[in-house]
Amino acid sequence: MLDSKDRQVSSNRTLKKLIHDSAVRSKVIQVLVVVVTFSIGYYLFSNISQNLRQMELPFGFGFITSTAGFDVSWSLIPYDPSMSYGRVYLVGIVNTLVLSAFIILFSTLLGFVVGIMRLSRNLLVAQFAKWYVEFFRNVPLLIQIVFWFIVVFSTLPAPRQSFGIFDALFLNNRGFYFPSPVFQPGFVWTAIVGALALICFIFLKRSSNRFRKSTGKNMRYYYQLLLALLAVVTVVFIGTGKPLDWTLPSLQGFNFEGGGFIPTAFAAAFVAMTIYRSASIGETVRAGIQSIDTGQLEAATAIGFPPFKTLRFIVIPQAARAILPPLINLWLTIVKESSLAVAIGFPELVSVFMQTSLNQTGRAIEIVLMVMGFYMCASLTISFLLNQYNKRIQMQEG
Amino acid sequence: MDSQATPKTELLNFIPSPSRPPVVITHGFTGWLKKHLFGGFWNTLLTIAVFTLLYLLLKPFLEWSLVKAVWTASSRRECLSISPDGACWAAVIRWSNNLIYGRYPDPLQWRINLGIGIGIIWLLPLALKKIKHKIVIGLMAVVFYPFLASYLFLGGDRGRLHYVIASVALAYLFMLYMNIILIYLGKKQTGQYFESLIERFVPRRADLLGHLTFLLILSVLIAFIFRDFSLQDVSTDVWGGLFLTIIISGFSIVMALPIGILLALGRRSQMPVVRWFSIATIELVRSVPMITVLFMSVTMMPLFFPNTMDLNKLAQVIIAVCIFAGAYMAETVRGGLQAIPKGQFDAAKSIGLGYWYTMAFIILPQALRAMIPNIVTSFISLFKDTTLVSIIGLFDLMLMARNISIDKNWFGLHTEPLVAISVLFFIFCYTMSQYSQRLERHLTKGR
Repeated sequence: MLDSKDRQVSSNRTLKKLIHDSAVRSKVIQVLVVVVTFSIGYYLFSNISQNLRQMELPFGFGFITSTAGFDVSWSLIPYDPSMSYGRVYLVGIVNTLVLSAFIILFSTLLGFVVGIMRLSRNLLVAQFAKWYVEFFRNVPLLIQIVFWFIVVFSTLPAPRQSFGIFDALFLNNRGFYFPSPVFQPGFVWTAIVGALALICFIFLKRSSNRFRKSTGKNMRYYYQLLLALLAVVTVVFIGTGKPLDWTLPSLQGFNFEGGGFIPTAFAAAFVAMTIYRSASIGETVRAGIQSIDTGQLEAATAIGFPPFKTLRFIVIPQAARAILPPLINLWLTIVKESSLAVAIGFPELVSVFMQTSLNQTGRAIEIVLMVMGFYMCASLTISFLLNQYNKRIQMQEG
Repeated sequence: MDSQATPKTELLNFIPSPSRPPVVITHGFTGWLKKHLFGGFWNTLLTIAVFTLLYLLLKPFLEWSLVKAVWTASSRRECLSISPDGACWAAVIRWSNNLIYGRYPDPLQWRINLGIGIGIIWLLPLALKKIKHKIVIGLMAVVFYPFLASYLFLGGDRGRLHYVIASVALAYLFMLYMNIILIYLGKKQTGQYFESLIERFVPRRADLLGHLTFLLILSVLIAFIFRDFSLQDVSTDVWGGLFLTIIISGFSIVMALPIGILLALGRRSQMPVVRWFSIATIELVRSVPMITVLFMSVTMMPLFFPNTMDLNKLAQVIIAVCIFAGAYMAETVRGGLQAIPKGQFDAAKSIGLGYWYTMAFIILPQALRAMIPNIVTSFISLFKDTTLVSIIGLFDLMLMARNISIDKNWFGLHTEPLVAISVLFFIFCYTMSQYSQRLERHLTKGR
C-alpha cells in the first residue's frame, strides 16, 4: 500500500521534472528534435528509395562519367557532345564563375561611382544617382535580364551588318567578337619572367612601404626599379621572338570566325546584373561614407590635407570598415543571382546541369545535390576568405 | 637708427590690403542655382553633362511611350500602321484582364476580387486609432484568412473542416466590424453582453469567453446560412498573373514569419542540438540560389512522397518559397533579437517568467517592432523574387506578360509588356520601400 503510493509520488515527480526542471527539459526537447528529424528523414528516405526502385534509377553518381551527348552553346574550357556529364558540370561551373566575376568587378566599380554621386553637392547629379538607384533596385532582376536580352541585344543587326570598331571589335545579334591572343610555345619564358617580375614588384612595394613608415621619406630609385622590371620583361618578350599572335574575328559567310566571342546571353545577363547590383552597392557605399564623422573631414582640412588625399587616406580606409561586410554579402548574392541567366539560356550551371542534364538523365537527387553543393562551397569559401580580410581591416582600429 | 626708421616709412606709404571678394549670393533663385548647380567650373560641367544625358535618355523614351504611342488597336499590325515607332500599349490594355487574373475564368473573377477585398477590409481596422488588440486582429487574419480566401479562390468541395474554418473566419470578420461600429458609437462590444451570464459559471476570463461565445454563435449561424452554397471548382493550373504573384508572395511572407522566428530562437538557444539544427537549416538555405530551391521543389520533391499522392505544383512552389523566405527572415529576426538589451532578459527572469513567456511578451514584441522596416524590405525582395517562378513554368505576372508576344494578334511584341510590368513592379516596390523608410524614421524618433 505504502509502496505503491510512494511509487506514485516518485512518478509524479519525474513527470514534473520533465516539465519544470530546465536541465531535464532541455535534454527531452533535444531528444525530441533528433527523433522527429530522423523519423521525417526516414519517411522521406524510404519514399525516395521506393520511388527510385520503381523508376529503376538507383541512387548513384555513376552517370557523371557517361556521355552527355548535347552541345553547350558557349564554353571556356574545351567541350564537345562526346564528353561526360562531369565535364558538363565543370563547364557550367566555369561559366557561372566567369559571369559572376565580371559582374562583381564592374558592379562594384559602378556602385562606387553611384554612391559617390549620391553624395555630390551638385543637386542634379545627386538626384540623378538617387533615381537611378530607386529605379533599378525596385524592378525585379529577372525582368531586367529578359529586357536587356530581348529588347536590346537581340535586336542588334545581323552578323553581316554588325557594328564594328577598327575591324577588330564586332557587335551583332549573336554576340560580341573581339581579338584573342594566341600563345606560341616560346611564350613560356615571358610568362616565367613576368611572374618573377610580379613577385619582385610585390617585394619592392612592401619594402618601400616599410621604408616610408620608418623614415617618413619615399624610397629612392623606386620608380626607376619598376621601369627596370618592365624593361626586363619586354626584352625577354622581344628576345624570344615575340611569341604572341592575335587572331582577329572576320566575317566568313554568315558568321564570324576567329577571335574571342561572348554570346548575347552573357552580355545581357552581365549588363542587367551589373546595373541592378550597382544600385545596391551604391547604397552601401553611400551609407559607409556617411557613417564617417564630419570631424574627420574638418580635421583633414584643418591640417591642410588636399581633397584627393583626404579621400584616399582619411575617408576610404574608414568607410571600408563599414562598407566591406555588406559588400561581401552582396558579392555572395551576385554569385547566387548569376543563376538567373538560365532564363535567357546562358549555359551556366543551373541551365546546363539542372535543366538539360536533369531532363536527359532524370537523376533529380544527385543533380540537385551537386548543384547546391557547388553553390554552398562557393558561398562558404568566399565568405571565409573575405571574413579573414575583413578581420584584418577591422583590427587596425584602436 | 635704421630699424626705427622702417616702421615710419611704412606708416607713410600706406598700402591697402587687397579687398575681399564680393559676397557669394546664396539666396534667391540665382543663388540657389549657383550653390547647387553652377558653383565652379567642374560643377557646371557636371551639370551640363548629366543634363545632356538625361535629355538623350528621356526624350526618345517619352516620345516612344507617350507622344507616339497607340492606345487602341486590335492587332500589332494595326498599331504599326498607326504609328510605326511608338509604343503599342493597346496590347497591354487588351491583355490587362489576363495580366491581373491569369487564365482564371472570366465569369468567376468576382471571387478573386471578393477574396482580396475581404483581406483588405480585414486589415483596415489596423489603421484605426480607437481599436485595441491589433495584434489579435492581425493574428486572426494570418491564421483564418487563408482558409476563407482559398475557399473562395479554389471553389469546389474542399471538405467539412475547411468549410467550418472558413465560416469561423467570416464570422470573425462580421464580429470585428460589429464591434468597431459599437466602439465608435460608444456602446458595449457584442461579446460583453454575454459577460454577466458567463460570470455566474466561470468568473475568470469572462470577457474573453464572452467574445468566443458570440463568435461561436455567429459561426454556426453563418455555416448554417451558407450550407447549400457551392462554388465551381477552379484548378490552380489556371491561376496566374498579378493574382498569382500576390498569392505566392503574400502567403510566403506570412509563413516566413513564424518559420523565421522559430529558427532565429533556435539559433540563439542554449540547447546544442536545436542550435545546430537551426544554424544548419538557415545556412544551407541561404547559401544556395532561390532558383535551385525552386527546381528542387519541382524535380526532387515528388520523390519525397509516395507516388500515389497527388502533388500540386503551386503548393510545391509555395513550400519552397516559404522555406527560402523563412531562412532569410530568421536572419532578420536574429538582428532584432540581438538589438534587445540583456537587461530585458534579466528583468523577465527576475520576475519569474519562463522562456516562452519571456519571448512572447517581453522580447519578441520589442524585437519585431524594431524590425518592421527590415521585414518590409525582405517582403519587397521576396515580391520581386516571385518572378522566378516563371522559369519553372508558373504563369505569374512575368510569364503572362511574356506570353503576349506569342499571341497571334500581337506576335513579336516584347517591349511594351516588359515595360508595363516593370512600371507596375516599380510602383509597388517603391511605395513599400518609402513606407518602410517612413516607419524606420518614426520608430527611431521615439528612442
